[in-house]
Amino acid sequence: MKKFIKIFYSDNNANKPFYVKAINSIIVIIIFILVLSLSYIYTVTPNLVEGETVIGKLSENLYKIYEYKNTIIAGFILTISISLAALFGSVFLGFLGALSQLSKIQIFHYIGKFYVEIIRGTPLLVQIITIYYFIGVLFQLNNKFIAGVLILSIFEGAYISEIIRAGIQSISKTQIETARSLSFTTRQTYFYIIFPQVIRRTLPPLAGQFVSLIKDSSLLSIIALSEFTLSVQNTTAINFNFTEGYIVLGVGYLILTFFISLLSKYLEARFLYET
Amino acid sequence: MKKTILLISIIFIIFSCSNNDTNKSTLDKDTLIIGMELQFPPFETIDKNGKPYGISVSIAESLGEYLGRDIKIEEIAYSGLVPALTSKKIDMILSSLSITPEREEQISFSDPYASAFLSLLIYKDSPVMGPRDLNNEDVIIVVKKGTTGQILAEKVYDKAKILVFDKDAEAVLEVSQGKADVFIYDVYSVYKNSLEYPNTTRAYLQSISDEDNGDWGIGVRKNDTELKEQINMFLVEYAASGERDKIIDEHLSEVKDYFDEQGIQFFIK
Repeated sequence: MKKFIKIFYSDNNANKPFYVKAINSIIVIIIFILVLSLSYIYTVTPNLVEGETVIGKLSENLYKIYEYKNTIIAGFILTISISLAALFGSVFLGFLGALSQLSKIQIFHYIGKFYVEIIRGTPLLVQIITIYYFIGVLFQLNNKFIAGVLILSIFEGAYISEIIRAGIQSISKTQIETARSLSFTTRQTYFYIIFPQVIRRTLPPLAGQFVSLIKDSSLLSIIALSEFTLSVQNTTAINFNFTEGYIVLGVGYLILTFFISLLSKYLEARFLYET
Repeated sequence: MKKTILLISIIFIIFSCSNNDTNKSTLDKDTLIIGMELQFPPFETIDKNGKPYGISVSIAESLGEYLGRDIKIEEIAYSGLVPALTSKKIDMILSSLSITPEREEQISFSDPYASAFLSLLIYKDSPVMGPRDLNNEDVIIVVKKGTTGQILAEKVYDKAKILVFDKDAEAVLEVSQGKADVFIYDVYSVYKNSLEYPNTTRAYLQSISDEDNGDWGIGVRKNDTELKEQINMFLVEYAASGERDKIIDEHLSEVKDYFDEQGIQFFIK
C-alpha cells in the first residue's frame, strides 16, 4: 500500500525512480488525449451520415491532408528555416538592444529604450502589416521570406534584449569592482566574468522566447508567406476538413517546440557543470 | 560634418531607390505579378505539390501568353489584395474579385469575365428561412473579411449582429455549430460546405440580392488603362475560342449537373 501511494506522492522531486515518472506522465497524457478525442467526437458526430463512423471520418479527412504532404512538408521546412534565421537575427538584435540600453552614450541608450518600448507595446499583427505594407514599400522589401525573418527578429529581439539586460544587471556590482581591482579591462570583465554567468542565467527565459518565436511565426500567414500554418490552411480550404487541419498544425508545432525544450534542458545542464 | 553629409546622402539614396520605378508602366515589365488568395477552390487553389491551380490560374496563364509576358502568381490574403495592388506589390488581381463601387474607388476593373452571386449557409435550427428574415436583431450573420458578403451585410442587414472572420473556415464552423445563424458567401462554397456538414446546416442557393449581380473582374491599377484595354480584348478572344468553356467543364463538372438541375446560374457570362 505504501509503495502504491509513493507512485503518486513524492516529496523529493529531483530523485524519483523511473516508474514514478513514467506512470504519472502516461496518466496525464491519457487524460489530455481523452479530452481531445471526446471534443472531436462531440463536434463530428452531428454531421455523420449513415454508415460513417468517427474513426472513419477522421482517417478519411487526415488522408485528404496527407495527399498534400509535399506542400505541407515544404511549409514545415519553411517554418523551420524562418525560425532558425530569426533566432540568430533576434539574438543579434537582442544583444545590440541590451548593450545600447546599458550604454553610456545617451543617444544609444534612448534608441535601445525606444526600440523595446515600441516593439513590446504593439501587437505582432500590427507590426507585420506595418513593416510589410508600409515601411517595406519604402525600402522595396518585396521578398516575403526576408520580410518574415526581419519582422520576427525585430519582435523577438526586443524581448530578448530585456532578458539579456536583466541578466547583465543581475550580476552583482561587487564582482565588477573585484574585476577592476584585479586590473581587468572592461572588455575582459564582460568576456570572462559577466557573459558566462549571463548565459547560464538567461538560458531558461531564452528557451521560452525561442518557443514563442516558432509559434509566432504562424502569424506570418497573414502576409501569405507559405509557411506551415498557411500551407495547411490552403489544403483544408480545398477539402473543408478544418478540424483535422488544426490537429495537424498543433502536432507539428508541438514537435518543433518540444525539440527546443530538450535542447535547452541539455544546455542548462552543461552550463551548470561549468560554473 | 562628414557624418551629417553621409547620413543625408544615405537617406537620399534610400528615397531615390524607392522612387525609381514609379514612372515605369506595368506594360514595360517582362514579368507580370498576379495576386490571388489560394483558398477558393476550384478557382484559386493549390495542386498536390503546392503549386497554384484552378480556373483563375488557367485564365492567368492564357492571359500571359496573349500579352507575351511571363506571369508569376503571388499569394496574398483576400483582404490584402487591393492594398497590394495599389502599393505595387502585384500588377493585377485575378482572384474571384467582384466589381463593387467601393473597390472601384481604389482600383480599376476589366470587363466582367464571370459572375457569381451570394447565397446563404444556414444553421439547421435557425429561424432564418431566406434573405427576408435576415434584417432582424436576433439574427447573427457571419461574413468573410473584405468580401461582397461583408459589404452587403453591413449595408442591407444593419439590424442583425454581423461578425467578420478572416477565413471562411471559421465562419463555416460558427454556422455548423449553431453559434451563428447564417454565413453569406458565394453559391459554390455554400453548396460544398452544406455537403460537408449535411446534418447541421442547410443551404439557400438562390441569389439573395437583386442589386448584387456579382460580376467578377480582373483588377488593375487606375493608371494602367492600356493594360486594361488589352485584358478586355483578351477576354473576348478567350471566350470566343472555346478555351473558357473547356476550363469550366474541367473544374466545375462536380457541381454542374446539380446546379443545372436546380436552375442555378453560376459562373456563366
